[in-house]
Amino acid sequence: MIRKLLVAYDASPQSEKAFDFAVGIAAKYGAVLIVCSVATLPEPPVSVEVSAVLDHAEEFYTKHFTKLATRAAAEGITPRFELKVGHPAEQIILLAEEEKVQMIAMGHRGNTLVEKWMLGSVCRRVINYANCTVSVVR
Amino acid sequence: MAETWFLATVWIGLALLATLLSIWFRIATALSEIVVGTVAQMVLGAVLGASLGAGDSWIKFLSGTGAILLTFLAGAELDPTIFRQKWKEATALGLLSFLAPFFGCAAAAHWLLGWNATASWLAGVALSTTSVAVVYAVMLEFGLNKTEFGKTLLAACFVTDLGTVVALGLIFAPFTLRTLIFAGVGTAVFLVLPWITIRFFGKYGGRPSELEAKYLLLLLFGLGGLAAWAESEAVLPAYLIGMVLAGTVGKDHALIRRLRTLTFGLLTPFYFIRAGSLVSVPALGAAPMIFVVLLLVKMVAKFIAVYPATRFFESPRQEGMYSTMLMSTGLTFGSIAAIFGLNKGIIDEGQYSYLVAAVIASAVVPTLIANKFFLPRHLLRSGAGRTIVIPPQQPVQTPGGTP
Repeated sequence: MIRKLLVAYDASPQSEKAFDFAVGIAAKYGAVLIVCSVATLPEPPVSVEVSAVLDHAEEFYTKHFTKLATRAAAEGITPRFELKVGHPAEQIILLAEEEKVQMIAMGHRGNTLVEKWMLGSVCRRVINYANCTVSVVR
Repeated sequence: MAETWFLATVWIGLALLATLLSIWFRIATALSEIVVGTVAQMVLGAVLGASLGAGDSWIKFLSGTGAILLTFLAGAELDPTIFRQKWKEATALGLLSFLAPFFGCAAAAHWLLGWNATASWLAGVALSTTSVAVVYAVMLEFGLNKTEFGKTLLAACFVTDLGTVVALGLIFAPFTLRTLIFAGVGTAVFLVLPWITIRFFGKYGGRPSELEAKYLLLLLFGLGGLAAWAESEAVLPAYLIGMVLAGTVGKDHALIRRLRTLTFGLLTPFYFIRAGSLVSVPALGAAPMIFVVLLLVKMVAKFIAVYPATRFFESPRQEGMYSTMLMSTGLTFGSIAAIFGLNKGIIDEGQYSYLVAAVIASAVVPTLIANKFFLPRHLLRSGAGRTIVIPPQQPVQTPGGTP
């Protein structure tokens, strides 16, 4: 039985698919749906650039969240939207633990070699460290 | 004129390349621009025997304007409400965090590295800074920006940077009548500025003619010119103007974003690429331990000053060490101080290179150590970030069917 689930969303086509999948699950089980996006800051954070990145992230995701809310409303679901700051995998896992969700749904980005070398796949980290079911939508 | 346009094309091309690298490697654009500037100058010099033209007057102007606007925007990020609440603690902590590395690094440069007195003072100034951005980013990640300690620490970072900017503006200026005129005019302007600005913007602002940007540039150039005339540094009034206008201009998000577009899109690439292009890689390679010594002294000095203060505020040991490491970071103001020293002939190309390398390392190394050994993981669970409330939406109507 799934009472609460979390979908990781970064506005990529894969995360859009994951969102639709999560809405379907939430509608089927009458579950609470949390949408989590993460604003990643550049390293090292530099004066003014940090504020610019955060402002951009908030505007960008608010626009996308509004569209997602409309889509979810068609299934009778009212998601909660969370914008976190930090490393995506870490923030997704921490929110899932805090909210005691039964499932995390996420898309697989198919990272470039550089991204994999620098950061590792977000998806792989979430699968490795999450304490709940993780569904990867491809 | 064609030569100028082609040179501008090269610089903007390098800025674009630096931005792409910062996106691919998820590093700060400023850092990427400094590295690209260093490598481009090295390659051009070695392969073509040419230079990037960092000494051209128009490049110096754009670069200087970039530093001024960046400093202004950094000052405008101050939260005056929090600062008013915590000014005593913030001032004490901020001053300690400035004074210890200032004297420590100056002493190390003079006694350990054998630099002359003025060059040593400049090393002290360049390495006394704390990166507000690093501290703020971590506060956000942990949700510490909502705690009393987090607010104090953040406000203290502004005091530290203010110490750096004031030291830069006053130590190397001869104390003459000009200094008094600059100080007098500056003080008068800072006192009346918030009052005038809010009324002026209220009456004439909010139009497509960008009156606000012109007004701010007038102030920044005017007081910057006055500072330079008094043989001080233009970023000093810029930072102070930013701080005194933080409660008015700083809260106008639309205006700040337009200024950021101008700053990041055109000006700061010239500033940071120029800063990088002036670095001498052969000098760095010849004595790499010099910048390591400078970095270590900065970190030790920050530890001596900040760690006891964190314990005084009853911060647990690990969190205290973490905060200390974060306050050992720095990039923007350190590089501004180093460029100032090079332009004024206070330091030579080699000393500039060591200082910039130490400043860059200080932006990275303390954070790495902090995250590896002192990360207070329990704080990660305190609900950082924010919930974005989207009002209830109407279902999407599908053609020919019910939603």
